[in-house]
Amino acid sequence: MAALGTLSSANLNGGQKLAVKFFTVAIALFGAQVLFGMLAGIQYLKPDFLFGILDFSVNRMLHINALVVWLLFGFIGAVYWILEDESGTPVVGLGLGNLMFWVFTLAVVVVVLVYLLVQTGPGELKSIWLINEGREYIEAPRWADIGIVVCVLIFFYNVAATFMKGRFTGIGGVLVFDLVALAGLYLAGMWYTPNISMDQHWWWWVIHLWVEATWEVLVGCLLAYGLIKTMGVRRKIVETWLYIEVALLFGSGILGLGHHYFWIGTPEYWLAIGGFFSALEPIPLVAMVVHAVFDAGHHKMKSANHPALAWMIAQAFGNFFGAGVWGFMHTLPQINIYTHGTQWTASHGHLAFFGAYATIVIAFIYLAVQKWRGNVWMSGNMAGAWRWKWAMFLLHAGMIGMTMALLIAGYEQSHIERAIGGSTWMAYFEAQAGPWFQQAMTWRMISGWSFAAGFVLLAWDLMTIGKRETRPAQLPAAEAAAA
Amino acid sequence: MIVEPVHLANFFTVFFSAASVILFGALYALLFAWSRVRGRPRLMAMAYAAYLGLAASVVTLGYAANLFNSGFWTFIVLLMLVGYLFAPHAIWHLCVGTHAEEDEMVKISQPR
Repeated sequence: MAALGTLSSANLNGGQKLAVKFFTVAIALFGAQVLFGMLAGIQYLKPDFLFGILDFSVNRMLHINALVVWLLFGFIGAVYWILEDESGTPVVGLGLGNLMFWVFTLAVVVVVLVYLLVQTGPGELKSIWLINEGREYIEAPRWADIGIVVCVLIFFYNVAATFMKGRFTGIGGVLVFDLVALAGLYLAGMWYTPNISMDQHWWWWVIHLWVEATWEVLVGCLLAYGLIKTMGVRRKIVETWLYIEVALLFGSGILGLGHHYFWIGTPEYWLAIGGFFSALEPIPLVAMVVHAVFDAGHHKMKSANHPALAWMIAQAFGNFFGAGVWGFMHTLPQINIYTHGTQWTASHGHLAFFGAYATIVIAFIYLAVQKWRGNVWMSGNMAGAWRWKWAMFLLHAGMIGMTMALLIAGYEQSHIERAIGGSTWMAYFEAQAGPWFQQAMTWRMISGWSFAAGFVLLAWDLMTIGKRETRPAQLPAAEAAAA
Repeated sequence: MIVEPVHLANFFTVFFSAASVILFGALYALLFAWSRVRGRPRLMAMAYAAYLGLAASVVTLGYAANLFNSGFWTFIVLLMLVGYLFAPHAIWHLCVGTHAEEDEMVKISQPR
């Protein structure tokens, strides 16, 4: 047995050993996302920066693709992390899971290299299969698409077979059904049709339904497990809440898809469906806030892992503001006609993705590090606690700064380009040249530096936190009672 | 389905009132829950004041976004007003229901 505070695989079960591999790649890809985002941000201010070397379109694509893939790696890692604990049995097909990890990682490296090496050229059948599929956010070429589906199916097999062999908890049941949707919906983004409206119709199934249905449910499962582990909340309570939230999310999130169908040539009834269900979408988020207050009052914020709990609280608020407030501000078709696809959307996207998803993955990585170091103390008076606090502050300050800056840019764009200029090509450039837009981009860049500094500090903290601790972890109330 | 786009002069009002709907909604829900958790009736009065803010924001949004020009969108406005009023009550009942057993255990474990 390794000494307390030393990183040792002996402290982990099989699924958790695989999980830390996924977490490691997730953090590396998070770094790539920040790097390409910064480069794209500089190109907004100095359009000739890296001209002919690294196109803005490629930078932006890598920035967004890295986001999607690092979150996927994080989610898969988090599920492997909880799998043996939840099911009470070793992961079924762990070797296959390990193979999937290496294949997936290698595929991501190859795809990124191809993006960087082949930045321009004709779009033809060969390029769809080998270079870039051309669908925004899911640009991966067709071979990688098929690879992703195979990897997710292996992942599904690992999870479903393990729960079937062991015990099916409430969290496990919801998780397995959610993974069916996660794998199935990706197929909708591979559907080929020459009609652009139909193409967009299916493409949104991946983008919206992944994010506002399957990812939200996955996060609900992870949060339920996280609350049991960090605060000792009773399983029956978190599982009941998981069912309620899943029902609310599916009730509003699935047909909330309609707000993406407003302007792509789909029938007019989508205006009514999208408007109605989009108005309902904040309700589960408000429910989560009320329940968070209730639980905080009940458990007096005592926790076995302060950084993980802090990031989980950040998730509840980030999800509420990013998805709820920033989403509802421009979701009704009467205003969405002007804001759709402007920097306003980018503002909403930044805060929602960071608030709802990045936070929970970071929380799980803190949980993983704690156990990897032998279940070391991570509560009050922890050595070097300033690092996680400052990392969290800089990341949030940077994200809020970027969100506000993009909000101002989007407001100006929707006003000048859309409402006054009528969405013409000239109006697009006129809005981009406006002083409010330009100043907003400068402030976005300054906030981006804060975010990048926060990322560096976070990576440093994840590598070192708990290293000098010699105290064992404080058990949450429920676990202490069980022990 | 007739959608009348927002007039240029009402842009800011729409964004601001829509954000206020959700913020007042959260404030209402938070104060409601906190008042019940801590047993402080004064917070409940503040919670309903927050709901009044929410209702004013919804009506402002309705006018600024031309929602009252159609029956369907007027229904959405009414849905928001009624839904946000009762949602924290319903969620609170769920909270109490799901924690009932835990409360019972705390009572049993407490020394008399």
